[in-house]
Order: sequence, then structure tokens, then C-alpha cells
Amino acid sequence: MSDFWLWLEMLPLALEIGATWWFPFMESLHVLSLAIMLGAIVMLDLRVLGWAALRYSVSSLNRELVPWSAGAFLIANITGLAMFITRASNHVENPAFQIKMLLLLLAGINIGFFHFRVLRSVGAWDIQSPAPLAARAAAASSLLLWVGVTLAGRWIGHVI
Amino acid sequence: MESLTSWIANSAANDLALALLSNVPGSPPILQTIHLLSIVAIMASALMIDLRILGLAVPSQDIHEMAGRLRFWALGGVIGVFSSGIWFVLARPNRYFNNPVFQIKFALLLPALLCSYWIFRMAVRNPNFFGTHLWRARLLATVSLLLWVAVVLAGRWIAYSEYLFWPA
Repeated sequence: MSDFWLWLEMLPLALEIGATWWFPFMESLHVLSLAIMLGAIVMLDLRVLGWAALRYSVSSLNRELVPWSAGAFLIANITGLAMFITRASNHVENPAFQIKMLLLLLAGINIGFFHFRVLRSVGAWDIQSPAPLAARAAAASSLLLWVGVTLAGRWIGHVI
Repeated sequence: MESLTSWIANSAANDLALALLSNVPGSPPILQTIHLLSIVAIMASALMIDLRILGLAVPSQDIHEMAGRLRFWALGGVIGVFSSGIWFVLARPNRYFNNPVFQIKFALLLPALLCSYWIFRMAVRNPNFFGTHLWRARLLATVSLLLWVAVVLAGRWIAYSEYLFWPA
């Protein structure tokens, strides 16, 4: 497996990104996409928790915000992968990177749970009634997991 | 600028910031994460209202209502970015004040703040402003959007200014 990570690092694309302005370019786009993605996610989470934007239905916020979070998530993945391959073998052994990937996985499972299980019953709590416990638990977990992903992600560069 | 830099470098605030960043374990990434999450708050309020004015996002939301709800998030985000970012400037003023990207970031930040302040003020005060002055509002929202995106991108390039300005 370690040969695979080294092979990734030696790809002409990885060498090019790592040695040029492409790296900060990818990094700055990563920050921009994460800001847009988390902005959309936090808005929906706070609505489901019943803390904000109560005059709008959960389903309309979900419909209008998810394209932004999904699109930004795609860009964050592409730019993240572009940075990852420049130092793949180091990153896979970096505890901050490992924690970030674990938290990302949990956040992904949480998103799947929210969209494919919890949201099915949204008709009953779309507006003017509090979301069920499972929905609020998923929203609270989402907030905590994404703060954790951000912190672990920012910590990657501080692990020598 | 030279005198400001040396004044900070010789101040007690410089000693405090250096002590904080070098002695408190994890303080740099934690402060940077607060900075990032505050950027999220600004993007979800100032940028989102720009996108709404331009008709690109959240069409079912009312601009007047959005501005009243989101202005506290925008203000909180601005307070958050300043209070988390200032420690790095206080600790190493030479690194920042002599950095052309840092100068560009702040030259863009000031008009971005003014644009967004004006948009929020108008939207809160006059529920019909965007009906009667649609194109002026759209122009301002476009400028605000581009400025905020440029501020966020420039922020990350401070650490890489030598790629743009050689020799740094």
C-alpha cells in the first residue's frame, strides 16, 4: 500500500502541483468551497434544530441549499485530492489527516441518515412543528462533525 | 506603516501574542479554525444575501427578512475573523505588514465591509428597496460578492506571496 501512496506522489501531476503556484491555488479554492458548503449546511441544521429561519419550511430550505453544499463539496473534494497527492505517504500517516477522514466518513453517514431516513417524514414537521428527535440529533451531529472536520483539517499542516 | 510595524514589534501585545502562539499547545490551529468558521458565518450571511439579490440562491427567502436574521451572523463573523486573526499579526508584524498579499487582502476587505454594511442597512430599513432599485442593488451585490471571494482567496495566499511577488 505504501508503494501506492509513493506512486501517487511521483505522478507528474502531483509533482507539478507540489512545486508550483497550483498548490496555494488549490488550497485557497478549498477554503472558499468549504466556507460555502458549511454555510449552506449550518443554515439547514439550525432550521432543523428550530433555532433559526422558522418561517421557511425545512423542505424548501433543503431544496434550495443542498445544491450549494453538494456543489461546494465536490470542489472541496477535487481541490483536497489535488493537495493530498503531493504528499500522500505523509498524509496517510498524519494523525490529524486520519481523524479528518474518520470524521468526514461519519459526517457522510450522518448526511445519508438525514436524507434517506429522517427527511422521508418531513411532511409531518415541515413547518410550524418541531422536528423529531432523530432529525434534531442528525442536525446537531452535523454541526459538531463539521467543526471537527475543519479543526482536524487545519491541524494537518501543523503536524510535522 | 514602518513605524506601526516597529511599534507593534516592541509592544507588550507582541510578547503576549508570541507567548500564546508558541506556548499554548494547539493554539495556532484552533485560532485558525475559529478564523475559518467565522469566514463561514460571513459567507453564509453577506455572500448568501448577495446571491439572493442576484437571484442565484434561496429564491423563496425574503430579502428584508434575511437581512434582519443574518446581520447578527455577519457581525459575529467579522468580530470572529478579527479576534482570531489579530494574534498572528501581533506576533509577527513584519511578516504581515511587509507582505503584498496581506496589503491586498485589507485593501479588498475595507470595500467589502462597506458594501455589505450598506446592503444590510438598506435591506433592513426598506422592505421594498430591492423592488424599486433592483439594478443598483444587483450591481452592489456583484461587487460585494467578488470582493468577499477575493478576500478569502487572498487570505490563503499570504503564506505563498513569493509565488506572486518575487522576491518577496
